[in-house]
Amino acid sequence: MPIALLKFPTDLLGDIFKLCDPFQLYCLSKCSKRTQRSIQLGGTKKWKLSFRGRNAIVASLDGLHYNFGGTEDPDEYFETQKNWRFDNYMTIPFGEPFDVFFGFLGIFRIVEELDVAFGSFEQFSKAIRELIDRHIEIERIWIGCTPKVEKVDKLMPILNQLNITQKFSCLKKFPSEFRHQFDKYPNRILLHHSFWFNISQLLECTCDRIDLRESILSNQDMDMFFQKWKRPGSFPNLRWLHIAGENIDDKSSILEIIPPILNVNNPRVEVADRLYKHDNIVDPVRITKADGTEGWLKVELGSWPELKFLVLNPIAPNT
Amino acid sequence: MSSTEQGTSSAAPAEPTTAPESAAAPEVPESFYYVHGKDKVVHKVSAGALQHSALIHGMISNLGYTEEQAKANPFPFENIDGDILQMVVDWCNQHKGKPTPPEDTNLPKQKEKLFDLVLAVNYLEIKELLTYCCKQVAMMVKGKSPEEIREIWMIPTDAEDEAAEKEAKKRAGKEAAGETAAAAGDAK
Repeated sequence: MPIALLKFPTDLLGDIFKLCDPFQLYCLSKCSKRTQRSIQLGGTKKWKLSFRGRNAIVASLDGLHYNFGGTEDPDEYFETQKNWRFDNYMTIPFGEPFDVFFGFLGIFRIVEELDVAFGSFEQFSKAIRELIDRHIEIERIWIGCTPKVEKVDKLMPILNQLNITQKFSCLKKFPSEFRHQFDKYPNRILLHHSFWFNISQLLECTCDRIDLRESILSNQDMDMFFQKWKRPGSFPNLRWLHIAGENIDDKSSILEIIPPILNVNNPRVEVADRLYKHDNIVDPVRITKADGTEGWLKVELGSWPELKFLVLNPIAPNT
Repeated sequence: MSSTEQGTSSAAPAEPTTAPESAAAPEVPESFYYVHGKDKVVHKVSAGALQHSALIHGMISNLGYTEEQAKANPFPFENIDGDILQMVVDWCNQHKGKPTPPEDTNLPKQKEKLFDLVLAVNYLEIKELLTYCCKQVAMMVKGKSPEEIREIWMIPTDAEDEAAEKEAKKRAGKEAAGETAAAAGDAK
């Protein structure tokens, strides 16, 4: 027995849409322009999209994933299946991947991850502009080490205008003349080949987790950083800092200690973040801020010099 | 209003029961209220059952009606069909004083009434029943294609929407022209 859904008031439609899964919402959006508007007005659960520039889009929430994949066979449109790879999979007409992605943005208003992997510079710059114009929240940006997208370095100033909330990851090596300044920081940054991220940027960084690989930061830079960190009120968000780079050496001191910096006393101490347990340090040295906050620092040299710093009390002392 | 008084179909007693003599403390007699829908058929419902409806609960709070006053002043819900109100009253009685389970097997099954039931439940602000009803509406299109959804949920195509919009505009234009002509006639 059919019912005239669109005769329901908008708030009631929202209640119903919140009980619909992404497959239902997607198919409903394909019914008419009016259903698309109703979905936008009524609202849905906060499903989040992941897109890599190819003909696959995932809508996720609380560990549930709904995978949309392209097919050219009209007989397979809107077919759902569970297979060895996906619990929930629907084949849909795809066409131009970016246009499909824009269509999805009309239904789902949060992008969990935009992976700059496949597609052209022009397509990604258009997509980013679209995200900015529609005030879409982006949780994570991922730029892998070998994206198929050319001129990714030229995308960085445009990416800067996005509202990235959770994490910005860039593994790509940019040309040596590349320079970039973040306008606003997400909670976390992971930058490989981070020669362009200098001490001025680190001193202004508001992230809670900072991971810089192939960094140019030196002992003097890190000394400057820790002098600032020790001041009350500075770096209030910072929980984890990891710097790996050849300029960390034993030629000058950090906080009046010549690296390596580690605790050689027994019993041994291991400190780890409660949420990110892999962010841990064995045998760190305790340093204290003027306001009493404790931080744990370890600097190792050798083939891959690295500095690890965790702002937390030890949770698992090893004896 | 019709003088027909209809007892509820649930286990709710027609009259308040008296407390057993052996009880340690005397039970407070349950208060009852009366509601009617479009068909004017009056349903007698206990205050406990009516607690499910935030709207009615708000209306009866601190009302302090005697049985006679409540009988003489049934709450009119003229926008709700009698059979739909009966379903709602039955559900409220079945779930009186009980926590509602995540899946409700007592939900009215008549699909043809679902639309009106959802509107009524939404109006009466019965949160749990609304969730069940909305879930049932959502389940109607589980695994369906856009074409099937359009049929199940009676969704017009873009062309039908455009035609309807044009027709509405035309009608509004005619009505406005008619009003103008009438006003001009009056002025003469």
